[in-house]
Amino acid sequence: MTAFIIRRIFWTIPVILLVIFMTFVLMRQIAGNPFRQTERAVPEAIQRNLEEKYGLDKPWYMQYLLYVRGVATFDLGPSLVLRNRTVNDIVKDHFPNSIQLGGLAFLFAVVFGIPLGVIAALRHNSSVDYGAMAFANVGFAVPNFLLGTLLIYLFAIRWGDTFGLPTSGWATWKHKVLPVIALGTGPMAIFARIVRGTMLETLQQDYVRTAKAKGLRWRRVVLVHVLRNSLIPVVTAAGPLLGFIVTGSFVVELIFGIPGIGRYYVTAVQARDYSVVMGVTVLLAIIIIVANLVVDILYGILDPRTREART
Amino acid sequence: MALLEVTDLRTHFFTREGVVQAVDGVDFSLERGKTLGIVGESGSGKSVTALSIMGLIPRPPARIVSGSVVFDGRDLTALSESELEDIRGKDIAMIFQDPMTSLNPTLKIGTQITEVMKRHLGVSDEEARKRAVDLLEEVHIANAADRLNDYPHRFSGGMRQRVMIAIALACNPKLLIADEPTTALDVTVQAQVLDLLEELRDSHEMAMIIITHDMGVVAEAADDIAVMYAGQIVERAGVLDLFDRPEHPYTEALLGALPQIEGEGIREGRLTAIPGRPPDLVDPPPACRFAPRCPYANRNDSCTTEPPELREIRAGHWVRSAHPASERAAHAQGAPA
Amino acid sequence: MAVNPSQEAVRGAPGEPRSAGAPVRQSSLWRDAWRRYVKNRGAVAAALVFFLLLLYCFAVPGFWKIPGIWTSLRDVDPYQIDFPNAYASPSLAHPFGTDNFGRDLFARTALGGQISIAIGFGATLAILLIGVVYGAISGFAGGKLDNGMMRFLDALYGLPYLPFAIITLAIVGVVNFWTMVVALSIASWFTAARIVRGQIITLKQNDYVRAARAVGARWYRVLGRHLLPNTLGVLIIAIFLELPGVILGEAFLSFIGLGINPPDASWGSMAQDGRDAYRRAPHIIIVPSIAIATLVLCANFIADGLRDALDPRTRES
Repeated sequence: MTAFIIRRIFWTIPVILLVIFMTFVLMRQIAGNPFRQTERAVPEAIQRNLEEKYGLDKPWYMQYLLYVRGVATFDLGPSLVLRNRTVNDIVKDHFPNSIQLGGLAFLFAVVFGIPLGVIAALRHNSSVDYGAMAFANVGFAVPNFLLGTLLIYLFAIRWGDTFGLPTSGWATWKHKVLPVIALGTGPMAIFARIVRGTMLETLQQDYVRTAKAKGLRWRRVVLVHVLRNSLIPVVTAAGPLLGFIVTGSFVVELIFGIPGIGRYYVTAVQARDYSVVMGVTVLLAIIIIVANLVVDILYGILDPRTREART
Repeated sequence: MALLEVTDLRTHFFTREGVVQAVDGVDFSLERGKTLGIVGESGSGKSVTALSIMGLIPRPPARIVSGSVVFDGRDLTALSESELEDIRGKDIAMIFQDPMTSLNPTLKIGTQITEVMKRHLGVSDEEARKRAVDLLEEVHIANAADRLNDYPHRFSGGMRQRVMIAIALACNPKLLIADEPTTALDVTVQAQVLDLLEELRDSHEMAMIIITHDMGVVAEAADDIAVMYAGQIVERAGVLDLFDRPEHPYTEALLGALPQIEGEGIREGRLTAIPGRPPDLVDPPPACRFAPRCPYANRNDSCTTEPPELREIRAGHWVRSAHPASERAAHAQGAPA
Repeated sequence: MAVNPSQEAVRGAPGEPRSAGAPVRQSSLWRDAWRRYVKNRGAVAAALVFFLLLLYCFAVPGFWKIPGIWTSLRDVDPYQIDFPNAYASPSLAHPFGTDNFGRDLFARTALGGQISIAIGFGATLAILLIGVVYGAISGFAGGKLDNGMMRFLDALYGLPYLPFAIITLAIVGVVNFWTMVVALSIASWFTAARIVRGQIITLKQNDYVRAARAVGARWYRVLGRHLLPNTLGVLIIAIFLELPGVILGEAFLSFIGLGINPPDASWGSMAQDGRDAYRRAPHIIIVPSIAIATLVLCANFIADGLRDALDPRTRES
């Protein structure tokens, strides 16, 4: 088991390095030297100083290595546009909000999505099943910018008096309700669909028939035999789901005026603040890759068959 | 009073393509400590019969439309689901065909054995584990105490079937139903499992129903045999009598299809296969269901007009046919050999 | 046991079994799949709506250019600006209303659809291309190369495509059909590669491939008759599975402001146009969003239907 974990961790390192490299290469394509491109003319001497300070006069592979060392020591470098601030500062300001938004949305998706899928599976082919699945399908198909806009329109404006929900911002818990719903509905739908599918499959399995033949109470059969085995594939879906939430957050933060990293990202790209862009991309990538790692390990714990089989 | 009395059991499946009359009029009874073998080809309704007894038929498409299953004085078809849950695993136990998939792969073997005992006998964890070790030893699994903590994928096919048997025996049931217990196993392992079942039946004083398509299995293990075809029992007799003097043309055909190594009347040349295929159970033949494949049926007979009843042709030997062997011998004229 | 000649007479009765000697009707994988698909009413309805949507998008703006066919019924140009009529609600003259420039939304949504759908299919095909190449190399190679490639993929699995799409568009500086396709596919091919590789591995080990080779079939025959038809089915399903994600991705990018430049439109950019005006003219953002949702829903149902049709073992009922 530990060998499995170590092997898995071992493989993530080259991937992270590669992602940093890819981002690095991409960013350099945008422009070699950002300082020459800014509108404000910077005198030659000062420019040279700045280049030296930011290490831009070194060959590219040195820059890459320096950057990697920076990442490893949690130093993402200075912002190229906001001269007084480092990328770390910007991240510290914005990232926690995004994490909170994403985390709550994920929780929302799990808390509402999984039971929905379970109920739909247990009442297979009934109106409850069809209704739940129709709801899930629509929840996934409707783009979250529409959902967000509708939510704002209905609950913050039209019926604003009854609900008292604000239209934008991130200060109080009231601010968080609508964005979390807007961001979490898609993942909730995905969870519901997956859980229903795996449960239906599990219910057909022979060992469920054995459990029933033993006279075990239905509640135990569902909880211990069916649900446990059904949730395993759901765990594997959690990784990509995180990516889905990250993507969605860019839009939701924009609509609800949430000061998060997603909203800042686009501004940074347009302002050509490359170190911010790189830093955030690398950060996001690392988070997802680590999440995948955790999911894989969790999967190994939950399903004893994979512990020995996986190389 | 017999332990189990099945009277005119009919289980139908209501599907979009029509009503499948999987079990259509099955009667038999079973005494305590005796073994009944139910034989037939795939689709004959033998498994559905067993599942109907346990109340394990999938309820949306299937339903027991009529008949009764009286076990120990109670009609199981009239009981509620929770009452049935109390009986399953405790008084009646069942083991299934494929041991590879019949055990939950993510739970330890020990848990799967102890959960039955905790459910029905209310014993403590410790007590249940002790009994589980005893059970594993009874089914001849070495290192029983250690094996309790293993997962199913650590066991071979034959051993898993033995674990299934151990689970079934955990609460000392009065009746054990074995649905094709050896079909998925290698031949050598088959013999071991059958021997084990016989041994346990004697030591636990259980009644047993063995369902199989393999005549060789029931010849060994059963006291009585019921032959099923197209959802009905077509012949029922003691094992020796059935093998010695089969009456129904289908039984004869089944026995004729057995490879024989030695003995009187050994057939030379090819194995005789039964021409044709089993009937579609959505729309079965109106009269005798075997008639389309029967070598003795002909147009002038009741075979195509009247469904034959199950009648006692000699003591303890029942047959559902218009042309049982003993009557054919008497009317030698006009009937082909 | 002799066969009774009068068995023939008995065989006329209802419910009698099919004779063992009668020939089995020839039917290929595709015909069976088609029959199964057609039985699924939801999938059929989805396919119909999908087709109608495509028809709408490509016929409506197209037709008005052909004199005499459409112009007699409607004379609307999706590009024509008409300020006095801006923000108009749906009416007979403008079934979907008008946008912030007074352009007819009925025609404009169709136009946007052309671009959104084109990008959708384009990016999907790009994803499949990359996925097929990667998956095929990994699957056929086997051994350490396969192992390494898959470990690599495992780690990249859930990466969000959006940041990379944004960076790509920023690098290129220009947003048009091709750059969108590249941007959207650059970090979205991982699942497709995995599917293709899985397919190739199963097929390589499959018994009927071994059987074909055992009777001496050449490798290209094995490839053409056995591997490819099965993989094709999986690929078609993959198309309809990737399509929703890509369409939503394009919509997201446009909504953030990195979309198709005006006066052209995609559904996403139209939604962005409608964003500020959602209070007084909600239809501007609602109409393209519903179009997106419809396409996504249809693609999902079609994918489910295809999956059931091509591999009935996975059916739920």
